[in-house]
Amino acid sequence: MLSIQNIKAWADKHLKGDPVIWSVVFALGMLSILVVYSATGTIAYFKYGGNTEYYLLRHSFLVLLSFFAMWVAHKVDYRYYSKISRLALWLSVPLLIFAWQFGVNLNSASRWITIPFINQSFQPSDLAKLALIINLAGMLSKRQQNINDFKKALIPMLLWCGVICGLIAMTNLSTAILLFLTCMLLLFIGRIPVKYLAMLAFVGVFAVSIAMVVGQRGETAISRVENFISKENIPFQAQQSYIAVATGGVTGKGPGNSSQRNFLPEAFSDFIFAIVVEEYGMIGAGIVIMLYLTLLYRGMKAAAASGRAYGGLLSAGLSFAIVIQAMVNMGVAVGLGPITGLPLPLLSMGGTSLLFTGIAMGIILSVSRGEIEETPDALSKKQFSNLPKKEAA
Amino acid sequence: MNIKKSILLRVRLAFLAIVIFAGAIMYQIFHIQWMEGDKWQKMAEEINMSYQEVKATRGNIYSDNGSLLATSLPFYKVAFDPTIAEESLFRESIDSLSLMLSKSFGQTATYYKQKITSARQKGKQYIFLSNDLIGYQKKKEMETWPIFREGRLGGGVIFTKTDKRFRPFSNLAFRTIGFLNENDYGAGLEYSFNKYLAGTNGKALFQKISGSSWRPVNDGSEIRPKDGFDIQTTIDINLQDVSESALLSHLIKHDADMGCVVVMEVKTGEIKAISNLKKLSNGKYGEVYNYAVGSHGLREPGSTFKLASYMALLEERNIQLSDSIDTGDGELKFYKEKVRDHKPGGYGTISIRDAFEKSSNIAIAKLVDETFRENPQRFLDYLKTMGVTQPLGFQMIGEGKPNIPPIKQWSGITLPWMAYGYGLELTPLHTLTLFNAVANNGRMIRPLLVKSIKSTDKEINTFKTSVISDQICSKETLNKLRTMLEGVVENGTASNINNAEYKIAGKTGTAQSLKDGRYVRQYYTSFAGYFPADNPKYSAIVVMDNPKGYQQYGSDVAAPVFKEIADKIFALDLNMHEEYQLAEKPETGIFPVVQAGNKSDLSAMLNYLGVSNHTEGQELEWVRASIHNNSIKWEPNNQHQQGLVPDVRGMTLRDALYLLENTGLNVVVKGKKGRVSQQSQYPGMRALKGSTIKLDVG
Repeated sequence: MLSIQNIKAWADKHLKGDPVIWSVVFALGMLSILVVYSATGTIAYFKYGGNTEYYLLRHSFLVLLSFFAMWVAHKVDYRYYSKISRLALWLSVPLLIFAWQFGVNLNSASRWITIPFINQSFQPSDLAKLALIINLAGMLSKRQQNINDFKKALIPMLLWCGVICGLIAMTNLSTAILLFLTCMLLLFIGRIPVKYLAMLAFVGVFAVSIAMVVGQRGETAISRVENFISKENIPFQAQQSYIAVATGGVTGKGPGNSSQRNFLPEAFSDFIFAIVVEEYGMIGAGIVIMLYLTLLYRGMKAAAASGRAYGGLLSAGLSFAIVIQAMVNMGVAVGLGPITGLPLPLLSMGGTSLLFTGIAMGIILSVSRGEIEETPDALSKKQFSNLPKKEAA
Repeated sequence: MNIKKSILLRVRLAFLAIVIFAGAIMYQIFHIQWMEGDKWQKMAEEINMSYQEVKATRGNIYSDNGSLLATSLPFYKVAFDPTIAEESLFRESIDSLSLMLSKSFGQTATYYKQKITSARQKGKQYIFLSNDLIGYQKKKEMETWPIFREGRLGGGVIFTKTDKRFRPFSNLAFRTIGFLNENDYGAGLEYSFNKYLAGTNGKALFQKISGSSWRPVNDGSEIRPKDGFDIQTTIDINLQDVSESALLSHLIKHDADMGCVVVMEVKTGEIKAISNLKKLSNGKYGEVYNYAVGSHGLREPGSTFKLASYMALLEERNIQLSDSIDTGDGELKFYKEKVRDHKPGGYGTISIRDAFEKSSNIAIAKLVDETFRENPQRFLDYLKTMGVTQPLGFQMIGEGKPNIPPIKQWSGITLPWMAYGYGLELTPLHTLTLFNAVANNGRMIRPLLVKSIKSTDKEINTFKTSVISDQICSKETLNKLRTMLEGVVENGTASNINNAEYKIAGKTGTAQSLKDGRYVRQYYTSFAGYFPADNPKYSAIVVMDNPKGYQQYGSDVAAPVFKEIADKIFALDLNMHEEYQLAEKPETGIFPVVQAGNKSDLSAMLNYLGVSNHTEGQELEWVRASIHNNSIKWEPNNQHQQGLVPDVRGMTLRDALYLLENTGLNVVVKGKKGRVSQQSQYPGMRALKGSTIKLDVG
């Protein structure tokens, strides 16, 4: 029988770690299905001749898939991620180069690789981002004892940051800048002295200018920033987004009642927050922001609770990476920054980004569980005690 | 732990920063909603956007062998958003861009520079640079111009595409290919097959700008248009050309009001040519209506309909062609009205066969009247069996339906008048279909104009030959009718088109025109028939309305057009005739190899071999060898004048190909090596460009 008790029992048994994080992710997942369904109405109507359920089903499936990825990820002891991620980091270098040179061109940037056989496009920068942050957490925790040693402590980390961010910058400048800033934040949290960080910021500015010249996105970035600063030529997307925000009011137009989805390009990904405000109003927007802040807070709590510096840095790094991106995306939608083209994590439609966000959440949960092998007896006891209930269910 | 504390402190600092940023987002929402709310609300109402249709590219219409009859060519209108280009680029390139615009569109360079610069200053985002439509090549070129080469997003150039319908053969079969106007109404194949040709329009988001023009918001379209399918017709470009030019020259000769020709392949019902020409108010002829098919082409057929009457008669009664009939003195009264024969004084007593061949109206009126007077329904039943009472079910919209009055409206003279083609209306195509059925051994085939519908090279739909009636009459009747139809050309009203090379069978028709309820002295002349009579391959009908001058009868006006078209088709169609046997074999004898060819080549070769050869008299280019004692004498090879089929027998293939192809003939070669032994077109006959000549080699 399906009842609250049964669900709770099932969740207790299968969903380990911080229940608040689980709840927040489920809540955002549900909201994501609702808003994406509404926002894709127009495009589905056009591309699939009125079959508006096409994107609903596809997106729901991907949300479920990302939950599954999260579940698998949270089952793994977080210490293993250090090794896996080193492999992933090495792997992401050729993948990024491949995407840059031979990738599939969407919206005039080749960020995608099509995986042969299953024919699914895949953004290597999502993998690289995750791998870099995990690695950085690992490297930082190992060097806590001699953190002031510039050569030993800083150089390897800076090298990785530079290589990965640099390669991503070739095709996707805003993701690279954001990742770089996240890394800087992580280095700051990891007690790297501020004077080094200042130097690093200088190097970053230099790297960005190189990427603008060499990469594919320099001109786009310049014109977007120019548009943002000048305030005279508000770009079409931004205009439509502000109209969505303005017409949403306090309580919104109600689920599925957006009219700006017809005109707002990428309403289901980059500008989904505008649709949230339009349909659910300022109240809805406040709840979404609160959900992200809750996520960050719980991730931070996991960091505090973790016995090792590695767990703390890992949890903090991943939480900040996700929430910073969310804040930047929402900030763009309401006009706090130039147009970036970043999706809103956990809410936007999109295959691989959803999947990797799921994995990141799983790792945060894994940290919140603590070190699994430390209490093997407790674990097995718990499992046995739950056996009869499983049969009942 | 000191390290952990330090880390946690830093985490909390960062968290605080994020919370502040979140607060800023909330404030910004508040700001947009409450401080700027009115502005955005107003903009929401003002920005007039809508999804508009993006036209799909229309499909092509092809001839039977894949030549394009109609196609859509893309043309572009050049618009420009002068606010997009960056200042440095703009300043650098505006002069050269203006100069290029000036060279292409006529205004001075200063004009364009001022126009663009002022629009840029005013912030106008959409200006037309010229009202001219440019072609695809021009567009490609313009995309390399300064500023324009930065594309839509960087430079601001906007090409809006419109398709224009283009007919490579201009007015050939104009009305059959047809057209479609703005309201999706039109004529011909373009209209009848519009649902296939049109494709499905796409949709794109457009924003209204000053006035009534719309500007596309994004570069592509939200729903891509699906291009239309192509249709392949049965029209043969060569036959169409031949038919149209023959019809035109005769229309001009007789100063007729209107004429039409339909040529059909007997076995398949495929329409190979269809032409309708009407005299326009400026005195020239043009296609304005498909008289052969459409309802305005419905006319009283006149004597060509006698075929149907005789068919009914021969089926109903056991009449032999040699049986006699008294046609009297050329006038026969039915009630108050008189049936007249063409010959003054009448034909007297003649055989049935003569009556048909000479087209006696009295004979058929009398015979039908006495046979079917008591039971006219039976006559109609026969017509029904022949398929002339029902619409053809032709592929084009607007087919003229046979107009045969129901029996309850008949008077005493309806039946005898109907017997020779009055009091009922048929389209020329319908009459032709009946003649074609006779040519096709009694099997009536539905005329076919469109063979298939294709999407690039994939066939979507094919239209096969379909049968209206398997047997319209008995074999016996059919043989009699065919004998009589051949007789019309051999010794009847159309003996003027008799010829030795192939046999034509057919029937002339000359109907008086009905104007405002009265028959006037204007004639609707026609000739319908088929050829070669022994093994019919094509049937055709020629109609000419109101010829003026001395000649006004079907035999003099329509039949010669038929003959001209048939002659040309006969020459073009290799499969239709037997090869010409060699009239005179080139001499063999002791010099078997050298028979005919280019003189300088041949004598050079013989001189090298030490064989004596000589010419008498003038210098010759193309020669034939004859043996003179122990030497070769070059005789002139006559038929190599311009426009005549050259005599290539005895020549090597290389010489033969050179000569024949220079004359404009297509050459088909049978055999592998040796010299030409036979040629299918007779030397010295007028060469028809594009026709095929078959050579036997060996």
